[in-house]
Amino acid sequence: MWMWFAKLGSPRWFYEISTKWLPWLASAMCILMIVGIVWALLFLPPDYQQSFTTRILVIHVAVAGTSLAFFPLMAVAGTITLVWKMKLADMVAKHAAPLGAWFSFVTLATGSLWGSVMWGTWWEWTDARLVSMLFQFFLLLSVVALRSAIEDPDKSAKACALLSIVGCINVVIIKYSVEWWNVLHQPSSPLSTSNGSANGPEFWMATGVMILAVYLFFIVSLTLATRNEILQRERRSQWVQEIVRTS
Amino acid sequence: MLEAIQFSSLREFFEMGGYAFNVWSVYAIFSIFVLVNMLLPILRKEKIIKELKRRASFEKAETNSVREP
Amino acid sequence: MDQVTTIEAFTATLKRDLLVAYKRKNDIFNPFMFFLIVCSLFPIGISPDPARLGEIASGVLWISALLASLLAMDSLYRNDFEDGSLEQLLLSPHPLYFLVLAKNMAHWLVSGLPVVIVSPLVAYMLSLPDDAYWVMFLTLLLGTPILSLLGSIGVALTVGLGSRGLILAVITLPMSVPVLIAGTLTVQEALNGASLSGYMAVLGAMFFGSLTLAPLASATALRISVT
Repeated sequence: MWMWFAKLGSPRWFYEISTKWLPWLASAMCILMIVGIVWALLFLPPDYQQSFTTRILVIHVAVAGTSLAFFPLMAVAGTITLVWKMKLADMVAKHAAPLGAWFSFVTLATGSLWGSVMWGTWWEWTDARLVSMLFQFFLLLSVVALRSAIEDPDKSAKACALLSIVGCINVVIIKYSVEWWNVLHQPSSPLSTSNGSANGPEFWMATGVMILAVYLFFIVSLTLATRNEILQRERRSQWVQEIVRTS
Repeated sequence: MLEAIQFSSLREFFEMGGYAFNVWSVYAIFSIFVLVNMLLPILRKEKIIKELKRRASFEKAETNSVREP
Repeated sequence: MDQVTTIEAFTATLKRDLLVAYKRKNDIFNPFMFFLIVCSLFPIGISPDPARLGEIASGVLWISALLASLLAMDSLYRNDFEDGSLEQLLLSPHPLYFLVLAKNMAHWLVSGLPVVIVSPLVAYMLSLPDDAYWVMFLTLLLGTPILSLLGSIGVALTVGLGSRGLILAVITLPMSVPVLIAGTLTVQEALNGASLSGYMAVLGAMFFGSLTLAPLASATALRISVT
């Protein structure tokens, strides 16, 4: 078990195993994404209330679901960085933060494009999910900002690890407090916050395909970025120089 | 399969039941998002490899010049 | 040398920080003045109408207190970092948790407490309805220490950096959202005449939660950034 753990922390091991796996993951991602998008755009029957806007939700739900994975991932990676000083965990965390900010931003953008027709407003403070997603976006950006502010790589790795752990706890507290705030501020919310209650099984099947596709995209993109980081940080090692020579 | 398509004409498909702007902007944002986050790391890798190659050849030349005299 | 107990180390740190603050009075007055000035800008910027001001008074007071606490945060570890006494603190055999707690406490007494004390006066100037005075005062009394404790994490993370003002704001402001919510909600509910025990309990829970956890994070952050 510990051998496996030590191996997992080795950037070389990760680089080699991901070389093997990436083509498969990437092609699965492409297929699922094409299937999901074509299914959603062409075949999804219009909802009796929401008409064709459920096509937005297919994307929105998939991206939103994945964006919630970032802080837990970064907190776990941060704990590993602080406790076991594993280099690989920090390389993953470094690229997870900006990617997570992208995900949060796209969630907000697609959400408000949906809300602008279904709720009649682009932004709504009385929806707890919008507000907590906004603050998750800010917190992810603060991790990115801290990373770029500290020049010493070892220091910035540890500082960002700590901030990610604090941020992860904070996102949860913010989520609950914003919900609480909403309940008290707007006892009769004009909006129905139910997201897919009117959608049939077909909607959820298309969304399921899309969720898988977006998850794979998240893994593939993060792996690609991590591999770049490995090449840069391990450039002095024999095996990276070998890769550079043969490529 | 073809009869399961929800639109009878291409124009209807682009109109999206009157929600063309919202639906198509979501798909545009999503495509840009996916493309950017796939292409940037790929392009960056090429740049890194190029840079590392340059550095390697530079170091080689340096060691050779030390040996020669 | 005699053995120094942790409690003695705690009080020594507290006393020293208070003394240092007393010697450099600017650190006390600047956040306090900032609070007063920001609060008095709102009636000018929004409306002098007492009814409208009364509605937003609790939010204005809380946000101004938050910004004042943020502004004051920078001086928490900076001078000690520059003259090297922070390193001495890290080398001490006592748990860093208590020393950080002492520093936070001294800092709050110097920069947070004056804001809390003057808040009823400002609340009057912003025509906050009378029923909410005490509640406002109490929420700030419980809430500003939380802001200091949370801000301390951000300061500790950025203490060695050249330009840390903005990054400190970016890190700490999103973190203080729950406190802001709890504080302003409590005052709002007091205005509505609702029972307050639940709201105060939430604020109290946040206070004790951050009292136990935040210094741990600050201590870890200090160990990371001071090497």
